[in-house]
Amino acid sequence: MTRAKKAPTLGVLAMGMTLATALPSVVQADDDILAKADFGYGEYLSGECVTCHQQNGSNQGLPSITGLDAESFAQIMLAYRNKELDNNVMQNVASRLDDEQIASLAVYFASLPPEE
Amino acid sequence: MSQFSRRQFTGLLAGAAGALAMPSLAFGAVPRVVVVGGGAGGATAARYIAKDSKGAINVTLVEASKQYYTCFFSNLYLGGFRDYGSIGHGYDNLSNNHGVNVVHDWAASVDGSRKVLKLASGAELPYDRLVLSPGIDLNYESVPGYSAEAQTRMPHAWKSGTQVKVLRDQVMNMKQGGTFVMVAPPNPYRCPPGPYERVSMIAHTFSQVNPTAKIIILDPKEKFSKQGLFMAGWEKHYPGMIEWIDPATHGGILNVNAETMEIETDIDTFKADAACVIPGQRAGSIAMAAGVNDGSWCPIMPATMASKADPNIYVLGDASVAASMPKSGFSANSQAKVAANAIRGELTGSRVYEPRFANTCWSLIATNDGVKVGANYKAGAEKIDVVDKFVSQGGESDAVRKETYEESIGWYNGITADMFS
Ligand SMILES: Cc1cc2nc3c(=O)[nH]c(=O)nc-3n(C[C@H](O)[C@H](O)[C@H](O)COP(=O)(O)OP(=O)(O)OC[C@H]3O[C@@H](n4cnc5c(N)ncnc54)[C@H](O)[C@@H]3O)c2cc1C
Ligand code: HEC
Repeated sequence: MTRAKKAPTLGVLAMGMTLATALPSVVQADDDILAKADFGYGEYLSGECVTCHQQNGSNQGLPSITGLDAESFAQIMLAYRNKELDNNVMQNVASRLDDEQIASLAVYFASLPPEE
Repeated sequence: MSQFSRRQFTGLLAGAAGALAMPSLAFGAVPRVVVVGGGAGGATAARYIAKDSKGAINVTLVEASKQYYTCFFSNLYLGGFRDYGSIGHGYDNLSNNHGVNVVHDWAASVDGSRKVLKLASGAELPYDRLVLSPGIDLNYESVPGYSAEAQTRMPHAWKSGTQVKVLRDQVMNMKQGGTFVMVAPPNPYRCPPGPYERVSMIAHTFSQVNPTAKIIILDPKEKFSKQGLFMAGWEKHYPGMIEWIDPATHGGILNVNAETMEIETDIDTFKADAACVIPGQRAGSIAMAAGVNDGSWCPIMPATMASKADPNIYVLGDASVAASMPKSGFSANSQAKVAANAIRGELTGSRVYEPRFANTCWSLIATNDGVKVGANYKAGAEKIDVVDKFVSQGGESDAVRKETYEESIGWYNGITADMFS
């Protein structure tokens, strides 16, 4: 399994563009990562995320992470894990997530309604 | 014991749950969970157990107050960045959206052998599992001369509520060029960076309404959380206003006198025009009444947050011995989800996943100058162990500090939704 190239994506982000909208156009999705998803596990793991991100998708100070495309979601998480995205909170969150956990989170959050 | 893989852990607990829980439940009855304390730990636990069990568990939340004012962001109120109403939250959503039975009463005692919680009103609540998240009580006697009476003139403001308003009034009304004295708390206490964020926010207010004011911190500790970041921030934003005096220099706090507003130390007596005295702390009294404490705090099993003294009682948040985690609202919220998962597994046989803990504490030093410290944790055999941590660095750009502050606002909205929505 080869990792898609992610580092260059960061340079192309336009001001104000969220990662989720920017990444899919420039990243080749890692096609087998989502095969590892376990929805119930993702729901449990999401408990850690919703101390900061809101489960109902509202965006009040932090980006909304609901209703995104699961593949781009997984790519963003991999980019934080690989420290290609530089927010230290998210690097810390992603540092202990394995591929199965990232896939499970991606599929779970993709199932929730997007930000209004 | 090293970190479990998820599947190993699920297997272990499933076995334990079968052996432990089932015999204690009447056949066919809906199991009952009673939660004491509707704060960061208790509100989260009640909400998650009710939400995720979808009626399979009957959840009652016992909370003394109708409105919960968060300690988190109360310092921002002191700094004029928030109004008081914005840090208050009610319990209606927990009952309306999740079916939690919310009882506003005082939990007075626990009969662990009969598994009954007794309320001040005289009512008895039977439980299959009891969750205690009562926060802290103050050890007034840890500061000689300090008392419940003295706190109206020298507020601690460490349990939020009206004390925070008293402190804000005293800051606003202090005479021009006067001296504000903080007596900082000894370890361990809730919110390690809290006293120093508070000093920053009071300094921010003074810089606007009383620019020649002075702030003196008399600290019983030799060092404190994010010390380098705070001290650099004070130098930058409030030069000459704040003096931190360590125990080697003041020699010990011998007495505080709320009548004369004098604070006597080994080297000197400080005359305050306004003061904040934060005494030592211990677990809320219901934890002592339940007998799940060892001294001032309550030891827990790191994998579940169950009390080491009684497997039917869980202790969350500030009241627990959850080191290496700090006593914070973020920690309490994180621990609550671990306990909720374990309790549902025990009572309904739902899947139990490996425990995961996290914490981040943001502090605001001045307008748009936020800093943070955080870590994630796993359950070790004896305690909760750090896996990976981070902290803001000195010399970060203004843009990074502003983003850090904005994150903290997102977090406040997130955690309060996670407790109360
Ligand atoms: C100034 C300050 C700033 C802070 N800033 C932050 C921050 O930025 N981030 C952060 O994560 N944490 C922060 N904290 C810490 C945070 O507030 C606490 O760690 C957190 O509230 C602990 O949660 P808890 O559930 O243990 O207790 P609490 O949140 O205190 O909840 C306890 C509840 O139990 C109720 N109760 C107690 N006993 C009984 C009884 N016998 N019967 C009925 N009800 C009872 C109380 O009324 C209360 O509502 C701060 C604290 C302070 C003081
Ligand atoms: C301590 C608070 C916090 C926690 C907990 C947290 N996040 Fe984040 N998250 C942030 C911050 C801050 C950002 C913005 C980071 C940046 O600017 O790069 C972010 C950004 C993201 C993004 C990028 C969104 C976008 O469109 O740019 C995703 C995806 C994400 N988080 C997923 C998660 C998941 C999944 C979890 C739980 C496993 C989680 N987060 C837990 C604070 C948090």
